[in-house]
Amino acid sequence: MPLSSPSNLCWNVIFPPEQEWIEKTLHVAIKTIWQRARNTARTQFGDESLAVEIMEVAIEKAINRLKEGPPVGSDEASLLLDRFYAQEARRRRKANRKLTFLGSSAELPSNPVQNPLAPVDSAIDLDVILQGTPPEVRLALLLRHSRARWSEVAEILGTSAASIRVRCQRALKKIRHRLGISEHGK
Amino acid sequence: MTVATVEPIGKEAVAEHQPILHDDPNDTLLFEKLQKYILTHYPNPERIGCPDPAVLKKFADTPREVGLADLKDLHIFKCAECTRALMELRQRRELAKMQEESHPPIP
Repeated sequence: MPLSSPSNLCWNVIFPPEQEWIEKTLHVAIKTIWQRARNTARTQFGDESLAVEIMEVAIEKAINRLKEGPPVGSDEASLLLDRFYAQEARRRRKANRKLTFLGSSAELPSNPVQNPLAPVDSAIDLDVILQGTPPEVRLALLLRHSRARWSEVAEILGTSAASIRVRCQRALKKIRHRLGISEHGK
Repeated sequence: MTVATVEPIGKEAVAEHQPILHDDPNDTLLFEKLQKYILTHYPNPERIGCPDPAVLKKFADTPREVGLADLKDLHIFKCAECTRALMELRQRRELAKMQEESHPPIP
């Protein structure tokens, strides 16, 4: 898409008859520096279209400055406009340094980003919970995991349900805490 | 009279969204949740490090004959596939038990 000329964007300013020279002088100044302004926007921001926005700010500042003084020639107006353009480009560069843009939202995947280490994290959790538990407790927990009642586990291990549950208590407490479950009656 | 609705904030809001669940003496809720947790968090479609299916079946049918080493220690707690297989075996075993109870073998 061709870039709009800033002269099409910015000449809504109404000048009094004694300042109409500003309009003509600035038109010439814009034409003089426009190509360089586009190059600057492309090389410094990677986006040539930004030249229009930056130029609009520069034009506004140049108009205000020219209104204050006596009439000047197009060369001087070009220098002035060029300076304001560079000033605005510098301000934007500084502002951009505070932010890091990583592509646009269109480039983001449609699925929510998932932590590839999530399964590893979970494994670490359970490993930590059951770390150091005695073999009989491990086996009891596995049996309870495969069976519906502690009484069945106790029967298999040749002990009482209360006894095996007490021995598994520490591990159970940690798992409860991890899963957000309150113990019976507490 | 106007009754103002106060939105819960801070701890109250958290408590509202995470109700404390009370378990029974059999720890049914704990093991149900643990089962769901394993099924969600430990997918292992390639069956890496799984014990032999025969070992799982033996563990379900005659657990006294199976040791921790046969089960590869706590692998089942870190494997959705083994947990699923164990759930199926348990279901089958309970079904068989129920059938046995309703139709006892003729002496």
